[in-house]
Amino acid sequence: MMLGLCGSVMALGQAYALAESLADALLHRGNATHAIMMFAFFAFIRAGLTYAQERAAAAAGIRARRSLRERVLGRITGEGPALLRRQHSAEIAAVLVDRIEALDSYFSRWVPASVLWIASPAIILIGVATRNIDAALVLAVCGFVVPVAQAVFGIGAGVASRNQFQALTRLQSRFLDRIRGIATIVLSGAAEREAEALAEAADELRRRTMRILRVAFLSSAAIDAAMVIAIVAIVISQGRTLLVLAETGTTDVEAVASALFALLLVPEFFAPLRSLALAYQDRAQAANAAEAMQDLGPEASIPEPAQPVRARAGLSVTLRDVAFSWDEKRGPTLEHIDVKIPAGQTLILTGPSGSGKSTLIEMLLGFIRPDHGQILFDTTDLATLQPRDIATASAWVGQRPMLFAATVRENILFARPDATDAELRAAVSAAALDRVIELLPQGLDTHLGEGGFGLSGGQAQRVAIARAFLKDAPLLLLDEPTAHLDPETEAEILVTLHTLAAGRTVILCGHSAATRGFGGQVLELSHGRMSELRAVA
Amino acid sequence: MSEHVSSRGNAPSQGPLREILEVWRPFFGRLAFGMILSLAAVAAGLALMANAGARLSGMALGAGLAFYGLRAIGLGRIILRYAERLYTHDVTFRALAALRVWFFRQLARGAAAGLGFRRTGDLLTRLVSDIETLDNLYLRLAIPLAGAVITLPILMWVGLTTGPAIGIVVVILFILAAFVAPYVAARATRPSGELILTRESALRESALDLAQGLREARAFGAERMLARAVTQRQERLFAAQRTRAGQLALAGGFSYLIGQIALIAVVLSALGLGLPRTSPLATIALLFLTVAAFESVSGLVRAGVLAGEVSHAAQRIVEIAHEAPAAKGTAPLPSGTALALEHVTFRWAADRAPVFDDLSLTIAPGERLAIIGPSGAGKSSLAALLLKAAAPQSGRILLDGVDIAALDDDALRSRVAWLSQHTHLFADTIRRNLTLGRPDMSDDALFAALDRAAVGDVVRSLPEGLDTWLGEGGMTLSGGQGRRIALARTLLSDAPILILDEPATGLDAETERAFLTTLYETTTGRTVLLIAHRLTGAERLDKVWLLQNGHLAAQPV
Repeated sequence: MMLGLCGSVMALGQAYALAESLADALLHRGNATHAIMMFAFFAFIRAGLTYAQERAAAAAGIRARRSLRERVLGRITGEGPALLRRQHSAEIAAVLVDRIEALDSYFSRWVPASVLWIASPAIILIGVATRNIDAALVLAVCGFVVPVAQAVFGIGAGVASRNQFQALTRLQSRFLDRIRGIATIVLSGAAEREAEALAEAADELRRRTMRILRVAFLSSAAIDAAMVIAIVAIVISQGRTLLVLAETGTTDVEAVASALFALLLVPEFFAPLRSLALAYQDRAQAANAAEAMQDLGPEASIPEPAQPVRARAGLSVTLRDVAFSWDEKRGPTLEHIDVKIPAGQTLILTGPSGSGKSTLIEMLLGFIRPDHGQILFDTTDLATLQPRDIATASAWVGQRPMLFAATVRENILFARPDATDAELRAAVSAAALDRVIELLPQGLDTHLGEGGFGLSGGQAQRVAIARAFLKDAPLLLLDEPTAHLDPETEAEILVTLHTLAAGRTVILCGHSAATRGFGGQVLELSHGRMSELRAVA
Repeated sequence: MSEHVSSRGNAPSQGPLREILEVWRPFFGRLAFGMILSLAAVAAGLALMANAGARLSGMALGAGLAFYGLRAIGLGRIILRYAERLYTHDVTFRALAALRVWFFRQLARGAAAGLGFRRTGDLLTRLVSDIETLDNLYLRLAIPLAGAVITLPILMWVGLTTGPAIGIVVVILFILAAFVAPYVAARATRPSGELILTRESALRESALDLAQGLREARAFGAERMLARAVTQRQERLFAAQRTRAGQLALAGGFSYLIGQIALIAVVLSALGLGLPRTSPLATIALLFLTVAAFESVSGLVRAGVLAGEVSHAAQRIVEIAHEAPAAKGTAPLPSGTALALEHVTFRWAADRAPVFDDLSLTIAPGERLAIIGPSGAGKSSLAALLLKAAAPQSGRILLDGVDIAALDDDALRSRVAWLSQHTHLFADTIRRNLTLGRPDMSDDALFAALDRAAVGDVVRSLPEGLDTWLGEGGMTLSGGQGRRIALARTLLSDAPILILDEPATGLDAETERAFLTTLYETTTGRTVLLIAHRLTGAERLDKVWLLQNGHLAAQPV
C-alpha cells in the first residue's frame, strides 16, 4: 500500500515534468532537458514501484488464501460426515477450492484499493492544488460524486453477487453428479435432456452474472462520467484563463504549464477510484464466501490423527434406550434400542432394508449422536469421547468403501500412516489381497482411478478389510460388507472377515448368508425397533 | 477407445482454438457486433484525449473554440464504453455456456461404459475453470487486439502529419507494445500456463477426495492425512501462481515503460531535441493521443501472458472430444426385437482372457431368459455388448437381422433398458430420478413402478413423497431402498427389451420371490434378460443359460 502511495507521488512528479517541458515547447522558451530527464527518472521509478506492488499484492493474496484454506479445512473435517448429509461433496469441494481461489481478487485488489481510494486521490489533489487551485476544485467536486455512486450501486451488486455464486455452485454440483452417473444417463437415452438442463443452468449463471455486471459497470461508468466532466470543465475553465492571457499578450509558461499539469493528472486522480469500483464486487463476494464457510460448520481445528493401540481383548458396548431420527417429519429411525455386547463377542444386526441398521452403525462410529439414551464403550459414554478416541477404538468396513485417487499402498496406509512395511504386508496377506496385487501392473504402487476404478467390488472390499487389519482396533463395525458381491466372492470375503473378527468385539449388519458362522447375539430390527433379540451358536 | 486416446497431447496448438471457434460459430454475429461497439468506444476515447489536449494548448496560443464537440465526444465515450462492456461480457457468457453444453455432449458420446480412469474432479475443472479461462480469448485478447489494429492507422496518420520522424518512432513503439511484446510474452510463458491449469485440477481432485471421504476420514482418524494432500497440492498451485504473478508484473511494467518512452520521444520532438522539431500544437495533440493509445493496449502484454493458459485450456477442453469414439451408426432402427449373437468373441483388454469365445445365441421377441454363472464369467459384459457400451472383437450382434454396429446408439438404447450393477442415483428428487427428465409421466405410473420394485410403500410414507430429495448417491434412503428406486426406473422404461442385472439385490428373500413372480405378468410381450448368480425358482422363464469360461450351456428350466 505504501508502494501505491509512492506511485501517486511519482505520478505528480511525472505530470509536473511533462507539463513543464510541454509549456516550454509550446511557448519556445527556456531549456526543458532538465524536465525531460526528470520525467524519465520518475517513469522508471514508477515502473519499478508498480512491479513491486503487484508482486506484493500477489504474495499477500497467496498468504491470505493459505490461512483461509487451513481454517476451512478445519471446519470441514471438524464437522465430519454430518456435513455430507447437508451438502453435496461437490459443494464442499467448491467452497474449499473455487470460493477461496475467487477470494484472491478480494485480497490482492479490494484490500489495497479500499485503502488507496482516499489516500491516492488526496495526494494528487494536494499536488494539483499547489499549482492550480481552480482545477483542484473541479477535481474535488467530480471526485466526490464517486463514493455516492458507489454507495448507490454497490448494494445492488452485493445481493446479485450472492445469487451468482449460488448459481455457479449449483451448476458445479449438478454437473459433477451427472458426470458420476453419465453411463446411466447415456444408456437411458437421457443425454439430450440432461444437456438441455445443463444449458438452462449455464444460461441461468449468465443471467445472474450479467445482473451483477450491469450494476458494477454502471458504477465505473459513473466514474468515467465524472472523469469526462472533470476534463471538459478543466479545459473550459483553464482555457478561458489562457485565452484571456493570450489575448492580452501576457501568456507565460507558468500558466500554461499549470493548466497542462492539471489536465494530465485527471486520469491519475480517477485511477484509484476506478480500481475501487472494479474491486467492489470482490467485497460482496468475500462476504458471501464467509457465509458459505460458516455453513460448513463451526470453526474447528483438523482432528488429531488416531493413535491405534494394539487390540485389547475387545471392548464392551452397551446401548441404553437409544433413539434417533434423521428427520422429525419422517419419524424416528431408531427407538428403544437396549442391548449389551460383552467384550470380544459379536452382535448381528438383521432386518429389512431401511430398518435402521446402518444408522446404528453410524452412531457407533460417532458420525451422529443419539437423540435419546446412551452408548457406552466399556464404561465411557460415547458422548464424552473426542472423534479421535472413537476412531482409535474402532475399525469399519462399509457397503462400498471409498477408495481415494492414490496408489493401493496409500489407500491401505490411510488406516495407519506410520505402519511399517512388514505390518502393511501382513495386513495385505491377512485380507487375501496379495493375489489381487500380484495381478496389478505396479503391484502395491498401482494408481487407482477415482472411486477405485481398476478394482472390482470384491477387490475394493479387500482393500477396506486390509485397512481394518492394519488398524487392529478392539471394536469392529461391519455394515453389510458383502451386500454388493456375488455369493462366491461373498463366501471368500467372509472367510477373511472371520479371521479379522477373532478376538474383537464385532457388530455386523447383514442378511442370513452373510452372517453365517458368526456366533453371538442376533438383534432383529423392524421399523427402528427391536423386534427380536436371541443368541445363536 | 484406445486409438482415440493416442491423438491427444500432440495436437498442434492452433487446432483446439479452431475447434472452439467452430462451436462458437452461431455467435459470430454477436461477437463481431461486440467488437464494433468496442472499437467505437476506443475511437471515442482517443478523440476525447487528443481533442482536450489540442483545445487547451490552442487556447494558450489564443485560438478560441466552441466546446460542443468535446462534450459530445465525452458523452459518446461514456455510453459506448458501458454498452460495449455489457454487450461483450454477455456475448462471452453465452459463448461459454454453449461451450459447456458442447463439452457435456462430447463427454456423453463416449461415456456409455462409464468414465474409466478419468477423474470427475478433473472433468469438473475442465467444465468450470478451463472454460472460464476462455473468456480471456475474446475479452482480453481479441477485443484489445482489434482496438490496437484500429488505433494503429489513426496514430500513424496523426503522427506522420505531425512530423515524419516522430510519427515513425511512435508507430514503431506502438507496434512493439501492442503486437511484438504480447507475442513474445505469450511464447515465453506458455509452460507456466499449463502448470496452473493442471495443478488447479489436482487441487480440486484432492478436495473432492476429502469431501467424499469424510466418513472414512472420521472412522480412521485420518483427517490430517487428507487435509495434508490438499495443502500440498495447494502449495504447488501457489508456486505456479507466484511465477505467473511475476511474469504479469514484468509484462505490466514493460508495457508501461514503452508508453513512457513514446511520450518522451514526443516531447523531445516538440522541443526539437534529437528529433526534428514539430509544430507544438500538433505535437501536443499527438502527445495526448499517444497517452490514450498506449493506455488502450496496456493490457495486451498481460493478455499475452494469459494466452498460454487460454490455449492450454482450449486443448484440455477439446481433448474430451477426441476421446469420444468417432464411429456412430446411422442405419434406421428395424421394427423387430429379435436378438442374435453370431460367433462373438470379446475381451475387455488385449492382455486379458476372452470373456466370450465364439459365442452364438438367439433371443426371440418376448422371450424370457436367464443367464446365470459365477462371478467374473462375463454376464454383465453381455449387457454391455448389447447396449454398445463395448464392441466385440469379432462376430456380430443382430437386432432383427441388422448389425447393431450400424445402428444409431441412441435409437438402439431406446429399445433396450438396462438395470446395471452400477446404476447411479442422482442428487435430485425421487421423481426426477425415476423420469430422468421425461415430462410425460403421471404419479400413478411412477407409483406402479415403485410398487413393482417393492419400494412404493417406503416412498408413500415419506412426507414429501415423490418430491423427496434423494441426496448424493441416494443418501437419504438406505442402500437397498436406493437400489429398488433404480429398479423402478428401469421398469418405467417402455423399451421392448429389458436387461436386469441382479435386480433382487437389496431385497429380502420374500420380497425377491414376490418381485420375480410379478415380473412375469408386468412385462408381457417384452423380452426379459435376467442376469443372476443363482435362480430362486420363482422366475417363470423360457430358457436358462449357464455362462462359464466364455461358453453358454443350456440348463433345465
